[in-house]
Amino acid sequence: MTISKNKLMQHPASFRDPSGFLFTHEGVLYRQVNQKYAAEYKHLMESGLYESLSKVGRLVKHQEVDITPIEPEIALQVLQPERLPFISYPYEWSFSQLKSAALTILAIQKRAIKEGMSLKDASAYNIQFHQGKTMLIDTLSFEFYKEGEAWVAYKQFCQHFLAPLALMAKKDIRLSQLLRVYIDGIPLDLASSLLPSSTKLNAGLMMHIHLHAKAQVKYADEDIQAQKKIKEIGKQALFSMIESLRNTIKKLEWNPAGTEWGNYYEITNYSDTAFLHKKELISKWVAEQKPAQIWDLGANNGVFSRLASEQDIFTVSFDIDPAAVEQNYRQVKETKEENLLPLVLDLTNPSPALGWHNKERESFTNRAPADMVFALALVHHLAISNNVPLQQLADFFGDMGKNLIIEFVPKSDSKVKKLLQSREDIFDEYTLDDFERVFKYRFKIEKKVKINESERHLYLMSAL
Amino acid sequence: MHFSPALYLDPGSGSILIQLLVAALLGGGLFIRSQWAKILKMLGKDTQEVDEENNDDFEE
Repeated sequence: MTISKNKLMQHPASFRDPSGFLFTHEGVLYRQVNQKYAAEYKHLMESGLYESLSKVGRLVKHQEVDITPIEPEIALQVLQPERLPFISYPYEWSFSQLKSAALTILAIQKRAIKEGMSLKDASAYNIQFHQGKTMLIDTLSFEFYKEGEAWVAYKQFCQHFLAPLALMAKKDIRLSQLLRVYIDGIPLDLASSLLPSSTKLNAGLMMHIHLHAKAQVKYADEDIQAQKKIKEIGKQALFSMIESLRNTIKKLEWNPAGTEWGNYYEITNYSDTAFLHKKELISKWVAEQKPAQIWDLGANNGVFSRLASEQDIFTVSFDIDPAAVEQNYRQVKETKEENLLPLVLDLTNPSPALGWHNKERESFTNRAPADMVFALALVHHLAISNNVPLQQLADFFGDMGKNLIIEFVPKSDSKVKKLLQSREDIFDEYTLDDFERVFKYRFKIEKKVKINESERHLYLMSAL
Repeated sequence: MHFSPALYLDPGSGSILIQLLVAALLGGGLFIRSQWAKILKMLGKDTQEVDEENNDDFEE
């Protein structure tokens, strides 16, 4: 098939690697492999490495397709990779999600070395969650391993994974957000200065972060290769080095405790009847609508998201609280759930567009719309705690989803009373009538049910 | 040791040296452990061999 050049779009995050790049054509994602990567691609496919990794869901599957490449003069082959339902970024992951991704990179690297290849990059952006597992999505990340060489992506691995994990575990979980600022990972001198000095007693962190940071400064301007200062690093020694990274990361722990919403569902003002009624309504409406993808905004630990994912609907479960997301992800792993992706997101300041040309990493809103959005027990937080007018809420949800299941929590509800007890009530428009009036500008109200034994209403709406 | 000039990621001189250092330290540790295992063996105590190279299972 020949395709005209003006219909092609090179992916804005795929430009650094001379081995090839991603592009879209008529909404389908392709990867051009360049001729200069021919020997590596052949080895990847014929050594059994591709097969062994993709079979267990750790490397994205692809098909070789017969379409004209975007740059035919340098092209070897066009691939069509399996398309993922949602792309997430490391600053949206909980602690264990980043840890899983790190261990996956190391496991892939060990397997690659055994097959005569090595990862030439270790970017956290090359990992995605797919069917509950961490998976490498960059097929062109492998180069030939030459015995004696150190790992070229070691520095990047430490910046993208080890530094943020150590900071989250040893200093403060919120430091994961540094990944938003530093798109190529947290600089090691910064990580070293932020970490408590007790981490210098941890052999792995001492070597891979503190000494590593010092060595970077000391040898920054020296060409150590030309000076023949360094010896070769044998294969067994390289395995030991990777094993040391693995052990250092495995020992890093963070346990969600003392958080904002820790035991939220045990202390809600729902009666069992109300809770069950709410669940029934959501399950029924989801089953009737059959959306392809649901975003549960303010999902806590995912109790309502699971009403959808258990119906085999891919559901992204967003919450501001890293502890809730951590609990949610642990449950995903424990029960091997394939249709649920928990992510950390602050709706009052969602992920922006980042990187070169502001196009490498998509903003949260640019990944919209989902087929359906859940906004359960959420509106009062945004309207009252964050002073967002109802009209703006309607606009936001209208942009985020084609359908909406939304819960209105009135002022008479004890949760709202609590939000208002320490401040002046300036929210004259926060009434059920105003809510409906304003949302009708963007939505058609399909269903409205008062939740039994509560003062809350649940709505199903469709965007106009 | 030479990296090809076509590398698109700068491995960093300091980062290469640290890898050598870690490998050397761990190599020393491995040597001590293997000698210790030999001593134990001479004393008639069986030790478990750790096959680190095959320890690459993916975390679930």
